[in-house]
Amino acid sequence: MLFSFSAHHFILVTTCENALYSQFIQEFCFDSFKFVMDATDEKYWCDWEKTQSSYGDLTNCTILIAEKLKCYWPNQVVDDFFITIHRNYFKNCPLTGRAPRDPPNNVLCAFIMVPMLITLLMTALVVWRSKYNEGIV
Amino acid sequence: MGKPRTPSFLLCMLVLKMLPTLATTVNYADPTSQPAVTEQTTPNIKIIESQFKCYEKMQRDPVYNKSGLYCNRTWDGWLCWDDIPAGSHSSQSCPDYFHDFDTTEKATKYCDETGNWFRHPDNNRTWSNYTLCNLHSHGKLKMTLIMFYLTIVGHALSMASLSISLGIFFYFKSLSCQRITLHKNLFCSFMLNSLFTIIHLNIIGNKNDLVKEDWVICKVVQFLTQYMMGCNYFWMLCEGIHLHTLIVVAVFVEEQHLHWYYLLGWGFPLVPACIHAVARVKYFNDNCWMSAETSLLYIIHGPIMAALIVNLFFLLNIVRVLVTKLRDTHHAESNMYMKAVRATLILVPLLGIHLIIFPWRPEHKLAGEIYDYIMHILTHYQGLLVSTIFCFFNGEVQAALKRQWVQYKAQWGHRRRDHCSMRSASYTATSISEVPVYLYHHDSNSDQLNGKHGEDSEITMLKARETYA
Repeated sequence: MLFSFSAHHFILVTTCENALYSQFIQEFCFDSFKFVMDATDEKYWCDWEKTQSSYGDLTNCTILIAEKLKCYWPNQVVDDFFITIHRNYFKNCPLTGRAPRDPPNNVLCAFIMVPMLITLLMTALVVWRSKYNEGIV
Repeated sequence: MGKPRTPSFLLCMLVLKMLPTLATTVNYADPTSQPAVTEQTTPNIKIIESQFKCYEKMQRDPVYNKSGLYCNRTWDGWLCWDDIPAGSHSSQSCPDYFHDFDTTEKATKYCDETGNWFRHPDNNRTWSNYTLCNLHSHGKLKMTLIMFYLTIVGHALSMASLSISLGIFFYFKSLSCQRITLHKNLFCSFMLNSLFTIIHLNIIGNKNDLVKEDWVICKVVQFLTQYMMGCNYFWMLCEGIHLHTLIVVAVFVEEQHLHWYYLLGWGFPLVPACIHAVARVKYFNDNCWMSAETSLLYIIHGPIMAALIVNLFFLLNIVRVLVTKLRDTHHAESNMYMKAVRATLILVPLLGIHLIIFPWRPEHKLAGEIYDYIMHILTHYQGLLVSTIFCFFNGEVQAALKRQWVQYKAQWGHRRRDHCSMRSASYTATSISEVPVYLYHHDSNSDQLNGKHGEDSEITMLKARETYA
């Protein structure tokens, strides 16, 4: 892929230029990713098993070009690039990325207070039942 | 709400770090403490997956709607960072990509006053602080191993002493009383708790596949461990209720129906365990339910704390009744009851204290280590403590063992099959020549009370004889 640099793209790079980086990843990385994704059925886009390798290739491509252009990876350009990719291809996928988090406070309180109250009720019940048992002396 | 961090959970997380995985790819001494991805290193699959989840979250989350400067959400190569206001820090747990990363430590990122992420001064590169993640790894790993072995030894010792105690209680039929029946159930629950904890630690520590692939069996074992922990505390509560009923509510009644105690001790702990499982599946379904960063754990700990507090209340009430009401009239009995209550009164705070001092781990390194040792001993040696106090320090058990030993030594014929009430009477009768009649009447109750030393009850009765003679 890198060998397909045409002559007018070959520039001596000393510092990172965001515009150039953005242009390169659009031309070289996005196009091949688009090609692969268009070839697969749209209903498989959200299937991580199937899209994992092409997504990984896309990421590697952006890393390699960053390396060549002496840019730090990742950066703002990469963020914008991937957000666009996700908007176009993975917008309606079911939520996979949610880190597990606690339920909202009212639900959490209900979950905690209910067992505690049942505990106290059960204890009261056992005390009451043992109080009224017939004793055998 | 503060998050409970059970030592065993921390232990589990750190033990996972012993697994051979990728080492960090960067040197943390230099300022480029960031994913220095080069052509030679390809990001591993976990990182790609996290990246995917990050960008998905970034494009899905609502736009930042507060006023003022802020830093844009970003993926820094390892972790996802949300929009934060200018001039603030953001922190989250270290990732688990590398075996020398401690996931209980925090990674931080600073958003400066101009609304840009912090750049490292040396190379002007946007930089997140991951230095804490592997700073103390080596020492921590050593501590983790020590704690792991301490835990296993504690539970193994507990199981051994509990099985000896159970053997004693089942073998000496003369000891059988309602209170001993409750002790047997308590010891069973402690044994099962130790067993499941050892199984659980072994699954987490050794069999990586079960954890990595998030097998259901891992979660089932976690569920059973929590159920057993509940059983422990609820059986202690049953002991307290039984004593309370015996002494305060229906004085001198011997036989209570134990069905309700069985229900409270074995059946009820299923309720918080099931509610926790449901809540976990629905809201916080992490790998093997190992994470201690969730308030959902209070579903288990809340009822346990409630049981402990209620138990303590009952025991203090008993002490109050014994001290005030029986002091004047039944001096001998109140002393005997006091001795019985003393054992339970010592145990309940000891079993509960680790839950109370839990959240307050000292910051200082040495103090923190001492705290860890104390917490681990308090938590994992409970079975040993319970069997020692309720069985080995029990005067009646000691007397029964001594008698057995004497019998074997003297090679007597048949073992005396004494009834519960008669045994104690005959024991005291052999030691005291004259015993007032009313003491025989209450002997049946003294059998249910575990005096710390058999000789003490003997001396008490002697004193009572002098008082009332």
